Amino acid sequence: MSQLTPPEGHANSNVNALVHIASPAPRTSSGALSDYAIAVKDNICAAGMPTTCSSAMLAEFTSPFDATVVELLRDNGATLVGKTNCDEFGMGSLNTYSVHGPVVNPFQAANAGTPWEQRERRAAGGSSGGSAAAVAAGFCDAALATDTGGSIRLPASYCGVLGLKPSYGLVSRWGVISYADSLDCVGVMAKEVGTLETVFNTLSVYDPRDPTAARPDMRQKAAQACEEHRPNLTGGSLAGLRIGIPHELFPAELNLSTLGPLRRMLEHLKSRGASLLPVSLPSTPYALSAYYVISSAEASSNMARYDGIEYGLYKEPPPGSDKTKTANVYAHSRSAGFGKEVQKRILLGTYALSADAFDNYFLQAQRVRNLIRADFDRVFAVPNTLSSSPRPNADGVHVLLHPSAIRTAPPLPDRNGSADPGDSVLDAYVQDVLTIPASLAGLPALSVPAGLGEDGWPVGVSVVGQWGCDAMVLDVGKVCEQSAM
Amino acid sequence: MLAHARTLATRSARLRHSRFYSAQVRDDSRWPGWDVVVGIEVHAQIKSRVKLFSGAEDAWTPDYHLPANTSVSTFDAAFPGTLPRLNPKCVELGVRTAIALNARVQQRSAFDRKHYFYADLPQGYQITQHYAPFATDGRLELEGGETCVRIKQIQLEQDTGKSTFDPRRKLSSIDLSRAGAGLMEIVSEPDMRSPEEAGHYIRALQAVLRSVGSSDGNMEQGSLRCDVNVSVNRRGEPAGTRCEIKNLNSVKFIMVAITSEVRRQIDLLESGGSVAQETRGFDEDKAETYSLRSKEDAPDYRYMPDPNLPPLLIDELYVSRIREKMPELPDATRARLLALGLSRRDADVLMDVDSGREVKFDGALAPGPVAYFDQISQGGRDPKVVVNWITHELLGQLAFRNESFSKNPISAEQMGGLIDLVQRGELTGTAGKTLLRHMLDKPSDRSASDLARELSLLAGADDAVVLEKWCAEVIAALPQEAEVVRRGNVNVLNKILGRVMKLSKGRADAKAARDTLLRMLTGK
Repeated sequence: MSQLTPPEGHANSNVNALVHIASPAPRTSSGALSDYAIAVKDNICAAGMPTTCSSAMLAEFTSPFDATVVELLRDNGATLVGKTNCDEFGMGSLNTYSVHGPVVNPFQAANAGTPWEQRERRAAGGSSGGSAAAVAAGFCDAALATDTGGSIRLPASYCGVLGLKPSYGLVSRWGVISYADSLDCVGVMAKEVGTLETVFNTLSVYDPRDPTAARPDMRQKAAQACEEHRPNLTGGSLAGLRIGIPHELFPAELNLSTLGPLRRMLEHLKSRGASLLPVSLPSTPYALSAYYVISSAEASSNMARYDGIEYGLYKEPPPGSDKTKTANVYAHSRSAGFGKEVQKRILLGTYALSADAFDNYFLQAQRVRNLIRADFDRVFAVPNTLSSSPRPNADGVHVLLHPSAIRTAPPLPDRNGSADPGDSVLDAYVQDVLTIPASLAGLPALSVPAGLGEDGWPVGVSVVGQWGCDAMVLDVGKVCEQSAM
Repeated sequence: MLAHARTLATRSARLRHSRFYSAQVRDDSRWPGWDVVVGIEVHAQIKSRVKLFSGAEDAWTPDYHLPANTSVSTFDAAFPGTLPRLNPKCVELGVRTAIALNARVQQRSAFDRKHYFYADLPQGYQITQHYAPFATDGRLELEGGETCVRIKQIQLEQDTGKSTFDPRRKLSSIDLSRAGAGLMEIVSEPDMRSPEEAGHYIRALQAVLRSVGSSDGNMEQGSLRCDVNVSVNRRGEPAGTRCEIKNLNSVKFIMVAITSEVRRQIDLLESGGSVAQETRGFDEDKAETYSLRSKEDAPDYRYMPDPNLPPLLIDELYVSRIREKMPELPDATRARLLALGLSRRDADVLMDVDSGREVKFDGALAPGPVAYFDQISQGGRDPKVVVNWITHELLGQLAFRNESFSKNPISAEQMGGLIDLVQRGELTGTAGKTLLRHMLDKPSDRSASDLARELSLLAGADDAVVLEKWCAEVIAALPQEAEVVRRGNVNVLNKILGRVMKLSKGRADAKAARDTLLRMLTGK
C-alpha cells in the first residue's frame, strides 16, 4: 500500500471528495485486495453507509444491501474508506451538481506548498469527481466509480489519475443506482495501472443478479478473439501494435494547449515500434445528440421511482393543494428532491419518450447508436464477438487513442458561488463528445495521465479497445503510463 | 431493441372493432336489429412460486390470505440499485398457455416499460411486452367448437400492488405483496357477439388456464381480471365506436356490464346521439357503467424498451419440450372420456369437479377426479362402472360431508379394489356403499377386501345357510306378516325382505333373499 493521506479532517474538508468516511474496520490480511484502501462512489450501495447519489432526494437513504462490487471488495479484503462525492445521480461533467457541494480538484504538482485556501479552485470533473479527487489527494489507493457518458474518464483526466470504464456488462450493476441502464458501467480509478488492473480483475466476474451481465462464455469468446488478434507486447517493443487516431475525436473545440502532452505520448509509442494510423469514425457528429436522447429517456424512466413513498425525501403537499392525482402529490417531493440538472434531463427524456416524439427522437437515437457501433467495428482488428456476424479486419487497429477532454480542468465558480462553472452549459455537453462514442458502443476506455498542459494542469489521453479487450487496453495503458513518467 | 420497436411504431395497440368472426348473424330479442361486438383483455396472474422479475427467493407470489406487505423484496419496493431477473418458470407457464390457446410462440420477444405514476406502482413503470408480445394469433373454441374467439396476443407483464381506499378516512392503503407478480395479458379479438358469449369465453379460458396449471384463474381473489370492449352497430352497418369497461371481477358482472353498456349505447344511438370512445367503470350496485375518462384524456404511457432486460429468445426445441409435457386440455379430456363410453353428463360432472382442483405453484396440478378415474379404470375395469362409483357414490358422499375432492382419503387402489369386489359378486352393491362410507369415515391405507372381511361385509361361500338363518329369524319375528304371505298376499313380502336386508347389514343379496323367503313361506 502506498503512503496515503488520512481523509479525516482538513484535507477532505477542502477537497470535498469523501461525503462519508467509514469508521476504521480491522484490516484483513487475506484476499487479493487486502493491501488496498478503496473508496466507493456514492451512487453504489454499501450497507451500513449512506448512499445519497449526492441528491437531496436520498440525503437520508441507507441501502439495506451491498452492491455486488462492494461485496466483492469486502470479500477480497479491501478496506472501505468511505463514499465519494459525485454529480447528482451521475448527471453532470463537473461534479458541481451535488447536494454535498462541489469537489475541488486536489491536483498539487504546481502548488503543493500553497495552503489550500490560496490555491486555484478548479473542478475535479464529473460525475465521478469525488472518486478521482480521493485518488488524486491520496485518500485511497483506488476508488470505484461509474461512467455513463464519460463520468470516469473526464474526472480522471482533470485530476491527473487513471480511470477505466470497462466493457459494458463485465462488472455487475446490481446495487449500482441506475442513471441510464444501457450505458452505465462501474469502473475503477487509481494512480497506477497495476492497482487498476488488480481491482478490475477482482470485480470483473459474472453476476446473475445483473440481467445485462456478460455471461462467462461471452467473456471467454471475447478474450479469445482479443488474444488471437493482438500483437505480443513482451520485451518492451511495441512492434505490430497498430494505434488508430480518429480525427473526429480531435474536434474544433479542442484546446490546442492540451495537444503537447498527447503528441509527446504518440512520439514515444512510435519510437517503441507502434504504428500510428489515421482512422475515421464518421457517425461521431451524431453521437452527442443520440447520447442525450437515450440517457435522458432512460433517466426519466429510472427517476420515476423517487416519489418519497417507500424511501427518500417526502414533502407534504401544502394545505389546499390538489391531491386528486397521485402525480400531483409526488410532484412536491420530486420538485424539492431533484436538482436542476436532474430535472432538466427528466423533462428532456420524458419528451423523447412521448408518443409523438418517440420515433424521431428515441428510435432515431437508437439507429445512430447502431451506426456508432458499426464505425468502431470497421476500424478494429479484433472482431466484435457480440455482433451477429463478427468480422476480423486484417488492416484494422488494435486500440484507438485520443484526448480524454477538450481542455484541462475548468475553474470552479468563486467562493461566493456566483458564476456558472465552465464557460456555458453547452460547453459541458460538447466536452462529452470525446467520451460518449465508447459509451454508446459499450467499449473499454481508459484515461491515462499524459502530462501537463500549458496551464500546468493535467491532460489525459484515452485508450479505447474492442468489446472485451479490457486487458489489452490496460496493457497499452501501462506503456502510456511509462511514457508519461 | 431497435428492430422490434420500429415494427411496433406502426402497429396500433388498440383493438379495432372492424370485422366479424362468427359467421352467423343471430338476432337477439333483447335488441332486435342491432349487432353487439365484444372483445376482452384478461389479466391472469401466473401461478409461479417466485414473482416475474423479483429474483430474490423471498419475493413469492402472494397467497390470497397473506397479510399485506409480507411478500415484498427490495426490487418490488423499487429500491435503488435493484435490477429485474426474469423467472424462467413464468416463461414456461406462459408458453404452456400459448400452446393451449393455439397461439404462435414468438422466437424473439422483448420487454418494455409502461410509465405512469400511481401509488401501487413503486417503480413508476410496469414492465410489459408492448412492442413485441411473446405469443400471437391464438384461438379458443367455445361450446364444443360452435364459436371460436381469436386471441390477438399474449404478453408477460408485472402485476401492480393493491390499493384500497377508505373513503371515510380518505386514506389509501397500499399492499405491495402483489407488486411484481407475473401476469399474462391475454387479448382477444372482438369476436364475441353477446354478453353470454363473453361469459362462455371467460369460463372456457379459466378452464384452460387451470388445466395447464398456469393460473388458478380465480376472479373472486383477483387472480383473473377483465377489461371488456363493447360496441354496437345496426345490422349491416360498419362496427360502432367501442368503449372499454375496466376491472370486471366476476363472470356475472361481465355479462351484466355488457348488457347495460349495450343498452346505453343503443339508447344513445336511437336518440340520435353518438357513442364517444372512452374508458368506463362498472357500478356493481347500480348495475351500470360510468365514464372514467375520455379518449382525449388517455394517458401517454411513454413506452420504452426496458434497457435492463435482453430480448426473450424462445427456440422451437424449448416449445416442443413443453408441448410434450403439457397436461391434457379440457377439450381433449372431454373427447377422450366420451370415447370411453361415458355419458356427456358423467363426463361433465367429472370435468366440472376437475376444473375446481387446486392449481399449485409452478405448474404442478393437484390430481382431480379425471386423473382418479383414469387410474381406476386402468387395468380393464369398465369405465362406466368406475364413473358411476365416482360421480354417484364418492362425489355424492363427499358433497354430503361438505368436503371437496381434494379431501378424498380413498386411494385409487382402494377404490379399484372396492369396485372389483362388487363386480365379482363378493360384495353386494349395498355392502359396497357401506364399505365406501366406512372408508370415508375412517381413512386408512388398508385394502378394500381387508376392510370388507373385517367388517364381515363379504358374501361368503356359506351364503345360503346364513341367508336361511336370517330369513328364519325374521319370519319368527314377524309371524303376522308371514301368515299373510303364506295365504298368498305376496305384496307383504317386501316388508319381511326389508327386515332381512337390515339384519344382514346389506350383505344379503336382495334377489336371493326374496327367493329364499318365498321358498320358506310358500314352498315355491
